[in-house]
Amino acid sequence: MKLTEDVIYRNSSQFRNWSFTPTQLAELRLKTNIQACERVKANVARQRAQRAAIALDGGGASASDSERGNTPGLENGNGNENGNSNGGTPMRLDKEVDCLTVAEEMRLVDFCCETTIDLAKFIGLPSDVTATAVQFLRRFYLYNSPMTYDAPVVSRTITFIACKTDNANPNLDDYVAKLGKVTRDQILAPEYLIVQALRYNFEVRHPFRGLKGAHLELGEIARGAYTPVAPDTRTPSDLQAAITALPLPTSGAITDKKTISIENRLNNAYGFAANILKRTAQLTDAYFLFTPSQIMLASLLLADEPLTTFYLSTKLPSDSPTYTKLLTTLRSCAILFSSHRSYTSSTLSPEEQKAVKDKDKAEISALRKKLKNCRDPDKMDLVKLNQAQKRDAENASGGGLEESKAKRRKIAREKAEKEADDFWGPELGKK
Amino acid sequence: MSRAASRAPGANKRLAEDGGASQSFLSSSLRKLSLQQSQQHDPQSASRPADSSSDICNVCKSSRYLNPNMRFLVNPECYHKMCESCVDRIFTHGPAPCPIAGCNKTLRKAKFRTQTFEDLKIEREVDIRRRVAKAMNKEESDFERLIDYNNYLETVEEITWNLILRIDVDETERKLRLWEDAQKAELNPNATFRRIADQPEASQLSEGSHVVLKKGGTQRKALAASSGNTPDPFAVDESGKRDTGFVFQGLKKRKAPPAEKPFDPFDGWSIEPQQYTLQEVHDYKWLTAYDSDPAYYVGGWDTRDYYSRMMEEAFGGMCVFLEDEKVRPLGSGSVEIGTQNAASVAQGMKDVVMDDVF
Repeated sequence: MKLTEDVIYRNSSQFRNWSFTPTQLAELRLKTNIQACERVKANVARQRAQRAAIALDGGGASASDSERGNTPGLENGNGNENGNSNGGTPMRLDKEVDCLTVAEEMRLVDFCCETTIDLAKFIGLPSDVTATAVQFLRRFYLYNSPMTYDAPVVSRTITFIACKTDNANPNLDDYVAKLGKVTRDQILAPEYLIVQALRYNFEVRHPFRGLKGAHLELGEIARGAYTPVAPDTRTPSDLQAAITALPLPTSGAITDKKTISIENRLNNAYGFAANILKRTAQLTDAYFLFTPSQIMLASLLLADEPLTTFYLSTKLPSDSPTYTKLLTTLRSCAILFSSHRSYTSSTLSPEEQKAVKDKDKAEISALRKKLKNCRDPDKMDLVKLNQAQKRDAENASGGGLEESKAKRRKIAREKAEKEADDFWGPELGKK
Repeated sequence: MSRAASRAPGANKRLAEDGGASQSFLSSSLRKLSLQQSQQHDPQSASRPADSSSDICNVCKSSRYLNPNMRFLVNPECYHKMCESCVDRIFTHGPAPCPIAGCNKTLRKAKFRTQTFEDLKIEREVDIRRRVAKAMNKEESDFERLIDYNNYLETVEEITWNLILRIDVDETERKLRLWEDAQKAELNPNATFRRIADQPEASQLSEGSHVVLKKGGTQRKALAASSGNTPDPFAVDESGKRDTGFVFQGLKKRKAPPAEKPFDPFDGWSIEPQQYTLQEVHDYKWLTAYDSDPAYYVGGWDTRDYYSRMMEEAFGGMCVFLEDEKVRPLGSGSVEIGTQNAASVAQGMKDVVMDDVF
């Protein structure tokens, strides 16, 4: 009954619930998108029919507004709320809702991940908390669409949840103060919903700690103090000689120097890989498609290829099929990283970077404009939705039930007060 | 042996009831016996009027009339009743002979107690039965056949009545003690027992002999040699078998319970990494600085734990290839179901509503 590190990983919730093949991932996103579109269309149609009915009764836009104001519990208060906010540009009844495509959704979520990283940096959160927040966000939008829940709203709460799961423990008031223009309720309202959507899987396995471990072992090899695991029969000094004789990488961490001390080489590789992990790895689907160990090794591969292949050869015999397979997997992960915008942007000149940024900005604002017309009207105001669920909701949908409950509570309260009075004796009558 | 014959019906009834000797049965049989027997052995005459005997102390003759708080105590050695103040007076300074004339038993204060039963004969019988039951504690499951168990019960009853009726007391006591020691030795074969000689029988003390407070080694040896009723539990007879006092047919040999294994918190599981072995803690400042930082080491933070976690995360899942393993979801469809639930919850008409706790 032995547990290898792979078996331990297979027991994690990340492997069980949040790991996919590329096709599975695409299918899942498509399915989510289709479901969300259907919901949006159905809700918008229902809302329009409702508004049309009111308009017919009242005979005018202003009259219908007042009507709506007077009957908040008609069918769905939030739908009416949405109607009010869109009052300036009323939607035409016959126009089909133009929903987002999967690619557009992903673009929005990716952008939101970037802003989350920037936001966390602004607040001063450590990088692992940031990474957890980003992964939570990506996981959340695997089963939810930005059309249903708006990404910036969710990202604020998700960052707060990530702080709590990773022991950063911010005070909610401080957090709100740092964000500005946000109330406590806006942070807390979607919390339960998000946690449900994350299926209570609070653990995200990050590659950061693993990278430190690998860096440490490489350092030991360089010092000649590392004894390799079983199938490898080389002595520590053999390994030391081998690592110092490695050719310099052609791309990645060091490209400009002819010679470099092994210590500096390791440090450079570590720094380069850590940067990839902190930003590029978060903005891609790497966490869904690869294990954290593979992500770590892929980033190391990008940083210093000869070093990484040498390091792998101390772990697996170079002629074994596993080794070849692992290297293929690592390369596909490395390609995923190196093809991402955030990886290539560092090589661009400032003007080019600015151009890319502007282009992004225009793209995103166009998408957000489109999103505005295809939001799910039922899920617009999360704070109200949350309040409606709470115990003493005043205008909850099941009015009758709430009323009886309220009555029961009132009686119980009065009874408790009465008993307290009895305990201290009846009040003295006034003369 | 006429007495043994007279109690035979009682023994048979015990067998029939399988040890259920009720008190009413006891007292009735005792009453019958007391009618049959002469009264010479009885320590206290039961025929004496109860009120007068219970109200006056036989030693100091003070009566309850003068001292309403008087308590009477008995010693299971001889069952002579005396008042509390007499006990305090006579026995505070150590063992002393019983002050009742004709009784030479040496009594100790610690053994005095208030009697439980009004009839002292019953008190004594209950004591003896308790003692015998403690030594003879076999159950039916310890025997191979029912008849063996019944024979055992018969023997137990015989011992009990021998002691109660003072027949062959020395021999029975000797056997019983041997049996007790044999049982103890069987329960705990590694223990060593040191036999301390019992106090000499009252009959051996002459009328005027002084009370023996402490026995010296020579005295003890002499006693052991002379009386011969202080058995050596480790004495081995000619047949090479230890003398256990009694031999019961069909008694199963006691099986020692299996030794308890040392507690394993992981229930046999162990973590055995394939891709790395933990080396000595490395000399890296960013890592080893924590070892000397009280904020960390006071809380039990250990660099080695962190090191082992780093290595586990570095290689945990290195050879897990998702495109192979995730083709069909493991756990057959649990992921799908979870997906459906999550999707319906997130997009559905209603989120999960928590129950009203009030």
